[in-house]
Amino acid sequence: MRRGDALRSPGSSGSNGSRRDFLRRNLQAGGLLGVVGALTASGLNVRAARGSAENPFAYDVGKFERTDANLIHYAETARFQSPRPEPRRLALGPDGALHMAAGDSVVRLAEGGAVEFEIALAGPAQCLGVARDGLVYVGLRDHIEVFDAGGQRTAVWSPPGSKTWLTGLAVGEDDLFAADSGGRAVLRYDRSGRLLGRIGDRNKERGIPGFVLPSPFLDVEWHRDGLLRVNNPGRHRVELYTASGDLELAWGKPTAAIDGFCGCCNPIHLATLPDGRCVTCEKGLRRVKVYSALGEFESVVAGPESFAQSVPPGVSMAKAALDAAADAQGRIFILDPLAGEIRVMTRKRGTTAA
Amino acid sequence: MTPQSPGDGQVSRRNFLRNGARVAALTGLGAVVGTLVHRTSSQTTVWQIDPSKCLRCGRCATECVLDQSAVKCVHSYDLCGYCELCTGYFVPEPNALNTGAENQLCPTGAIQRKYVEDPYYEYTIDEALCIGCGKCVEGCSRFGNGSLYLQVRQHLCLNCNECAIGRACPGDAFRRVQVSQPYLLKTSH
Repeated sequence: MRRGDALRSPGSSGSNGSRRDFLRRNLQAGGLLGVVGALTASGLNVRAARGSAENPFAYDVGKFERTDANLIHYAETARFQSPRPEPRRLALGPDGALHMAAGDSVVRLAEGGAVEFEIALAGPAQCLGVARDGLVYVGLRDHIEVFDAGGQRTAVWSPPGSKTWLTGLAVGEDDLFAADSGGRAVLRYDRSGRLLGRIGDRNKERGIPGFVLPSPFLDVEWHRDGLLRVNNPGRHRVELYTASGDLELAWGKPTAAIDGFCGCCNPIHLATLPDGRCVTCEKGLRRVKVYSALGEFESVVAGPESFAQSVPPGVSMAKAALDAAADAQGRIFILDPLAGEIRVMTRKRGTTAA
Repeated sequence: MTPQSPGDGQVSRRNFLRNGARVAALTGLGAVVGTLVHRTSSQTTVWQIDPSKCLRCGRCATECVLDQSAVKCVHSYDLCGYCELCTGYFVPEPNALNTGAENQLCPTGAIQRKYVEDPYYEYTIDEALCIGCGKCVEGCSRFGNGSLYLQVRQHLCLNCNECAIGRACPGDAFRRVQVSQPYLLKTSH
């Protein structure tokens, strides 16, 4: 009798053989399943091990990524997504309206983040400033363009140099100040676009050490006290200049601790509060802090734990650089380009300025 | 099955042998072509790390079949900021900005620091000491311009069929590149 027949007729005389066959086949099938299961499990384990094994050479800044809660004097009161991709910089208009450079445009945002007004540009906007008369100054990589309140371009200023890389703009009483990372100087213009002078060039006689910029993050802020705040990231400090280029004050120290500036080159961007206090943004340990007008560390607006700290591989530092702007009420707007978000931070009750 | 006539036996055997010879010849040819293709492929391509995918996980130092990894830190001087406080050279909170061993990040002291002019310093990699751990690469990428990155040094690599590091790489950064262009160099920010 053939094996198949036995299986087909259990009651037949060959039923013992069928049982043996049946058991053998079950064992074979079970064994096969076991092997497949073991292989799958080992594959999963390899994959899990790939992601989870501890790095014996880890670069550990964990203790600097947590902020003492007593130092955080600001609370988030609003947060909204950037309405445009590639957000880069923030600026406030005379009426307190938030303007943002994003991609190849500048947008004016309503309270909730809706676009009220948009200026299309020929290239990426690197920085911007809004004057009291409503004119919008936009820094493209090597030149400045001026737009009226209706969004019409009224002027294009010629590039000041072959290495120009504009990364910051500040509008003064009668002047416009442009931070040129490529030229390592702040350029002073009148409102018609005439270049009046350079600020921050290395000058031993005037006691000016010069800007050290390992990466293009020179920024400038103008305050109604008449002084410019300029970051000098390679020297880990903020420098205060008169409009004529005299260095009045410098403060800041290199440290990963909360009261100083971390890494090779920080701060990267600045903002000024109405009373002259300075808001600083850092990269590496992404954090936003407030210093007194004389440079004493005062408080944290948002610590490293507030932001994603690891910049994904292949994403440039510029695309992860935090920016801030402060309005007349002392609110601080933080732009996180990595998350594509804008946060509105308000001072907590019971906290006081230094 | 059609019953065979006794007279067909010889023909069948001949056919069988002929077919057998054909199969053997084709198998042999396949084996030769396969070997040639494999050899040509391993001679024309080599393993390399895509810097845009590298996660600086430390596996390059621990997984290579060589005693000392064929992966080394390389330096793109065009990108380097020549920083006084180089985060690829110094531990996150150094006591002082000098070459004291306690201030150095590299576990083998493979980075040399040389003063250029105030406030600039030049950093060079001593490949004989570098173990490819990527600690400096993480420091440089996280805070600086990312001028330090990892590459497989081809004069050291055994070009294994299956790269042991590539197998363990969590970023899938290992890939084969043409031997005529064996490095994936960083040239811009």
